[in-house]
Amino acid sequence: MLWDSFIYFAIAATLLWATGAAAAWRHHRGRAIAATALGLAIFLSYIAMLWAALERPPLRTMGETRLWYSFFLPLAGFVVYLRWRYRWVLSFTTVMATVFVCVNLFKPEIHTKALMPALQSPWFAPHVIVYMMAYGILGAATLMAAYGLWRDSRRPAPRPMAGNDADGDGSAAPDMEGEVTMVRTGWAFLTFGMLFGALWAKEAWGHYWSWDPKETWAATTWLAYLAYMHYALRPHADRRAARWLLIAAFVLLQMCWWGINYLPAAQGHSVHTYSS
Amino acid sequence: MTRTDNNKPWTMRHGFAIAAALVAAGLVLQATCGPVRWQTLAWPVNIIVLAAYVATIAAARLMAPRWRPLRFLTTLAAAVPAIGAAVVLTMVMGLTPQTADGSWFSSMLTFWPFVVIYAYMALILGLVTAKRLGRKPRLADVAFVLNHAGLALAIVATTLGAPDMRRLKMIATLDAPESRAMDEQRRIVTLPISVELKRFIMETYADGSPRRFASDLVIRSASGQEAAATVDVNHPVRLGGWKIYQSGYDTAAGADSRFTILELVRDPWQPAVYAGIFMMLAGALLMLFMPTPKTHS
Repeated sequence: MLWDSFIYFAIAATLLWATGAAAAWRHHRGRAIAATALGLAIFLSYIAMLWAALERPPLRTMGETRLWYSFFLPLAGFVVYLRWRYRWVLSFTTVMATVFVCVNLFKPEIHTKALMPALQSPWFAPHVIVYMMAYGILGAATLMAAYGLWRDSRRPAPRPMAGNDADGDGSAAPDMEGEVTMVRTGWAFLTFGMLFGALWAKEAWGHYWSWDPKETWAATTWLAYLAYMHYALRPHADRRAARWLLIAAFVLLQMCWWGINYLPAAQGHSVHTYSS
Repeated sequence: MTRTDNNKPWTMRHGFAIAAALVAAGLVLQATCGPVRWQTLAWPVNIIVLAAYVATIAAARLMAPRWRPLRFLTTLAAAVPAIGAAVVLTMVMGLTPQTADGSWFSSMLTFWPFVVIYAYMALILGLVTAKRLGRKPRLADVAFVLNHAGLALAIVATTLGAPDMRRLKMIATLDAPESRAMDEQRRIVTLPISVELKRFIMETYADGSPRRFASDLVIRSASGQEAAATVDVNHPVRLGGWKIYQSGYDTAAGADSRFTILELVRDPWQPAVYAGIFMMLAGALLMLFMPTPKTHS
């Protein structure tokens, strides 16, 4: 079974991501980019091989969605690093991705070939992949917010309208623009995921939205990020409050992703139950 | 001009006060009128409500220069509390089993505060769309209008269209034409078409779990026309305003099932909802390529 070989790809990818993260701290930008990109390529090739071996998209079990998350999170961190040059971001995304890789190594869930008829749809892969992509991007945005809170707590906030790189440690954009841009991107992907799901549901059983627990929490998460975006765009928005709002939205996202599996109110029939 | 004594702009506190007042009004409605009865919105009431919604937005545009609260509704300070209230109420729905056991939170879709807050959001979305459309167009407005008008259309059309939607369950037995079906209130309905199961198809995985189940059907219209069709999960068949979905089968008999369970759906408001969904998809796509508006913190 192909899952047996996961450990080799996982070790190679996480070591490369760690190398990239360390290089970023030491301002070796080229090395950081090369190592991270290579790690992503190795991880993605494993996903592609698994897809081929299973003869279905690997998107059904929790373990399989964790696999995509471990890919998209470093990818989102990589984009943030390329665009805003935060040299700490790769370390965080590497650690988080490694945690998810370890969960898959130590607590693998049953991975069968079976794909129930309801999931045999061209909508299935895009629906889940764009969601995982959104989760990865929003995870990176949450890290940016947490870092911003920590940085602001250590020194007084820069005056409004101060230029970029006010703290002179190589990290640009003391303003929230990076976070807002990440959230806008992540939210756009959340929207794709949600509406692909609605169109699929309409084609599959005649109704867009049935308010099953997963959908209810997806709506809550989507609205929470919507509230954040509107809040952060207000003149004189309180950065501290905005960042806490972003962290709270990410907690709701966890609820939607896996928290509902442990929520008594959400038990019972759901088309979104991951069978393991 | 304005009713307030000073010209200080209204803040988010006013927005929270409005949202709280609407939730309170919803609670009063719930206590006095009982849960929302969606069926009263059935055609033609829904088209009248839609006309009233559009007229309200148009009237609000005309009155906005003279009435400050209307201008406030199109600001971020009104939007944030409105969305915040929707987050809280949707979260309550997620934390409460939706069993319709008669308690308020267990049937959120007929809970007045929930409905009032979503209606308030739809009103704000309509107002901001009208405001944007009324000013000199800019490129950034395209994504804005697609996002806001698309969401307004999706919410309004699914809500108003729901009472007109018919969802029937039909059990079609092997070689016996069937034209009766059961509606959502468990009443038997006789249709002008008949459906006959010719063959039930079932394929399984090695572990016995279903890989595919489908029905070979012959459908006859009232005028006597015949059509053969195979209905698969995820592949409904369209027939004169109805869509026929594969829903279930005799799970005890499995591949030997002598009947198939079909779902027949008629949804006249679907084109409007699809328009809203595709506007939102286009708006989200544009967001990926547009610069982030300046933050002012």
